[in-house]
Amino acid sequence: MLNFASVITSGLMMWKTLGAITNTASPIVVVLSGSMEPAFYRGDLLFLSNPSAEEAKYGTGDIVVYNVPGAAIPIVHRVLETRETGSKNRAQREQKLLTKGDNNPVDDIDLYNGLQWLERKHVVGVVRGFLPYVGYVTIAMNDFPQLKYALLGGLGLLALIQRE
Amino acid sequence: MHSLYARVNNVSATMSSCLMALLAAIALSTFLFTADPKGDLAITNVKVTAGRDRRYRNKSQDYALVNFNVSADLTPLFNWNTKQLFLYLEAEYENAKGGKNDVVIWDRIVRRKEDAFINVVGKNKYAFKDITNTFKKVPAAHYALKYNVMPYVGALTYGEAGRTLESLEFPAAE
Amino acid sequence: MGNSLKETFEGKIDFVGQKTVDDISRIALIVITVVSFIVGFALQSLSVTFAIFGGSSLVLILLLLPPWPMFNQHPVKWLPVIETKKGQ
Repeated sequence: MLNFASVITSGLMMWKTLGAITNTASPIVVVLSGSMEPAFYRGDLLFLSNPSAEEAKYGTGDIVVYNVPGAAIPIVHRVLETRETGSKNRAQREQKLLTKGDNNPVDDIDLYNGLQWLERKHVVGVVRGFLPYVGYVTIAMNDFPQLKYALLGGLGLLALIQRE
Repeated sequence: MHSLYARVNNVSATMSSCLMALLAAIALSTFLFTADPKGDLAITNVKVTAGRDRRYRNKSQDYALVNFNVSADLTPLFNWNTKQLFLYLEAEYENAKGGKNDVVIWDRIVRRKEDAFINVVGKNKYAFKDITNTFKKVPAAHYALKYNVMPYVGALTYGEAGRTLESLEFPAAE
Repeated sequence: MGNSLKETFEGKIDFVGQKTVDDISRIALIVITVVSFIVGFALQSLSVTFAIFGGSSLVLILLLLPPWPMFNQHPVKWLPVIETKKGQ
């Protein structure tokens, strides 16, 4: 039991440390939709980081993960337009973004729940690295709940068969 | 004694460590390829038309129409870990206050090395407009051809394959 | 009957066989990994890399995991039961 708790807490610690280094709330995400095909398929794993507000801006061509208020799941799409507005001082300028999925014919305005532009506060992170398929386990568990029970059943059976 | 379960456990643990090392090696090998191909980009015509906003029909909105020629040999970007190339043409200008505006007006996904020899005579694919709804006060813009190399595994890399030498003015709306 | 089914599922091998399996699998997997990387890199093809890695891993599994008789040639010899005389 204690062993189990230590596994969970060390996992959580690693996740939070990684988040602090990369400046995002979730440094690793699983692709949930097919709107970036053929670049990303469902179940691919993405590694994110977020440029800090002063050091760098988002650029066109960056693939960002964003979460607009009222949306159920974060969306992974590519930046189509960046617009700097506001103050004369470059560091204080706000950047407005427009995104589009590579596989979608039109931009994302209809996904923004009434917003005209995406802003820094909506962006979870920029995609830096990529690992295929690995995240598919979580999607499979959600799509086919039977799989979860089969897995649990299999583990139980193994425990029964074991003698040691 | 050693049961089958224990052997499966041992071998699969070693196997997944090896697979991870292999994936890491493949991801790192990408940095050995440092191709930086350049191509030609020519903007042949820029036109501005007055129209209506697509969402709010009562608002007027200027749209810029850009004709361009692109020719580039991007085959050097394809190595064993290249899944696809995302090629895009963007317009860059600074507004009166100095705020940077980057707008992608055309893009293409290149999935095979055989298709990486780009020769396109085209016009903008996406609506090109300014945030102020008109191009009257918008200064001349530069255009750049950029690419994003997307690997099978590893880091995404970006580069620039071409850029206009001189900036191009937006003409008055027609 | 139930016991023999259990035996088949457990697929036990002896201690010498177990050490052989562990050593071979570790060395073979490292060699497979290195070879698949080098050959794939030379041919600039990830599919070659994963074909070599997957194919040879499969062969390795078939060779090492089942309780083949060759891993069972050193059965444990227990000491003979010492008869203790009761009622001394």
